[in-house]
Amino acid sequence: MITVSGLTKQYGGRTVVDDVTFTLEPGTVTGFLGPNGAGKTTTMRMITGLVPATAGSALVDGRPYAAVPNPASVMGTLLDAGAVHPGRTGRTHLRLLADSLGVPASRVEGVLALVGLTDAAGRRIRGYSLGMRQRLGIAGALLADPPVLMFDEPANGLDPEGIRWMRGLLRGHAARGGTVLLSSHLLGEVEHTVDRLLVIGQGRIVADGPVASLLGTEGVSVRSGEPAALAADLVAKGYAVSPGDDGALVVSGATPGDVGAVAAAGGHVLSELRPLQRGLEDVFFSLTAA
Amino acid sequence: MTAAVVSPDHVHATARRTGPSLPAAVGLEVRKSLSTRSGLTLVAAATLLAPAATAIAAGTASQPLDNVLGPLVITGMLSALVLVSLGVLSTAGEWSHGTVQTTFLLEPRRGRVMAAKAAAVALMGAAVAAVAAGISALVLVAMEPSASWAGGGRAILMVAVGGAVFALIGAGVGAAVGNTPGALTGIYLLDLGLLPVLQVVKPALADKIDPGNAVLNLAQGAHQALSITILAVWVGVALIAGTVLSRRRQVS
Repeated sequence: MITVSGLTKQYGGRTVVDDVTFTLEPGTVTGFLGPNGAGKTTTMRMITGLVPATAGSALVDGRPYAAVPNPASVMGTLLDAGAVHPGRTGRTHLRLLADSLGVPASRVEGVLALVGLTDAAGRRIRGYSLGMRQRLGIAGALLADPPVLMFDEPANGLDPEGIRWMRGLLRGHAARGGTVLLSSHLLGEVEHTVDRLLVIGQGRIVADGPVASLLGTEGVSVRSGEPAALAADLVAKGYAVSPGDDGALVVSGATPGDVGAVAAAGGHVLSELRPLQRGLEDVFFSLTAA
Repeated sequence: MTAAVVSPDHVHATARRTGPSLPAAVGLEVRKSLSTRSGLTLVAAATLLAPAATAIAAGTASQPLDNVLGPLVITGMLSALVLVSLGVLSTAGEWSHGTVQTTFLLEPRRGRVMAAKAAAVALMGAAVAAVAAGISALVLVAMEPSASWAGGGRAILMVAVGGAVFALIGAGVGAAVGNTPGALTGIYLLDLGLLPVLQVVKPALADKIDPGNAVLNLAQGAHQALSITILAVWVGVALIAGTVLSRRRQVS
């Protein structure tokens, strides 16, 4: 649904987005990660034509965004929750969007209820908190029930309950066959929401793949009543063993199955056996380090 | 990864397949202008300023008016000056508030957005100025019953034209500058500062470029071709500059 090819943006001699290429498929939530200034927002703005690309192309539903008829009905976008007139009420803002999109006014009440703003809909937006503006922006993006959602830092200002709600919303959208591109600097939020990660650093895509493969494993943590004996058996089988937290053993380069087999053969009773995964934070910093 | 694809029926279950027609887009722009306190205040001010000025002028005049044409047009131009701000807010206001992002996400064809805004402010400008002039006429009927009404209808029509022209100039300059305070300062400095000074030092030149003077001349039936040219150049230059610059400007 979104195909980005060689997208590049230069300001003067400075390249802020450099040859970015990716394709987003229906049924997935893709996290777009990168430190501040890495080029996430500029990339998203180029996809929608708000910022002209120096080179490359971005297609939504096979066409440039500007060439898609009624494009906001194909891709719901939230780039800046502050891009609303503070003097309008939330309901008026959404009704104007609905009329432009050609959706019935009843849909406005539906999305207001969906984002939990029904009670505040008659108030002027200048009185909204950041979280309420985010919800209003999400409501606007959902008005036409578009198959593609592109959100830039949607969790900003949301409380934990709001973040959980948004996670469910995005997962549900993908489960119904929708496509989601989610930019965020909240690593925990991304880790628990997305299927795939796009990591951008200094304007270039530095990693692209399923979350599980990017996080990978770093061996196995195992606990036993007799750790010294278990360690000796593991070393005898050629595994590198080092002490972990609280008496656990860390077995590098092994799978839980490998360690379980050694333990069973030696008659060791295990109280814990789990793979060690690199945290998203570790992956993020290792990939985006200058 | 799920391979399900959203069917087109689902995609467009509630939305129109194409963007709004141009008349619908114009209607939306009118609603946008009138959906804020600032827009409503400007419309109210433009509607009431001319009748108020007319009442003050008629009430303080030392001699009865001979003809209503002059007072109707001159006070009507006060409304037109306020309508400049309505035009500026419709374009520069979007850039200042950041709402232009939403506008261009809904309708990425920026030239079409500018056309809809221009039509909307022209309609509002003409309607508000005509209403203001109509109320001014009622004030004159009550306060100057002996004044001649020769050319009164033409005066109201030309005030309406002036309202549309000044609102269009505001919209064009606002789109070109992309900043509300900057656009308002520039226009009012030019119209209320530079042109009056020019009228004193180079009156012949001022007569050839002053849009307010051109509206007055049109109402009086003088210098018709020149007056139309002056207004057309003002509107044309403002709208072309506004369209070109807002098409090139990135939304960041």
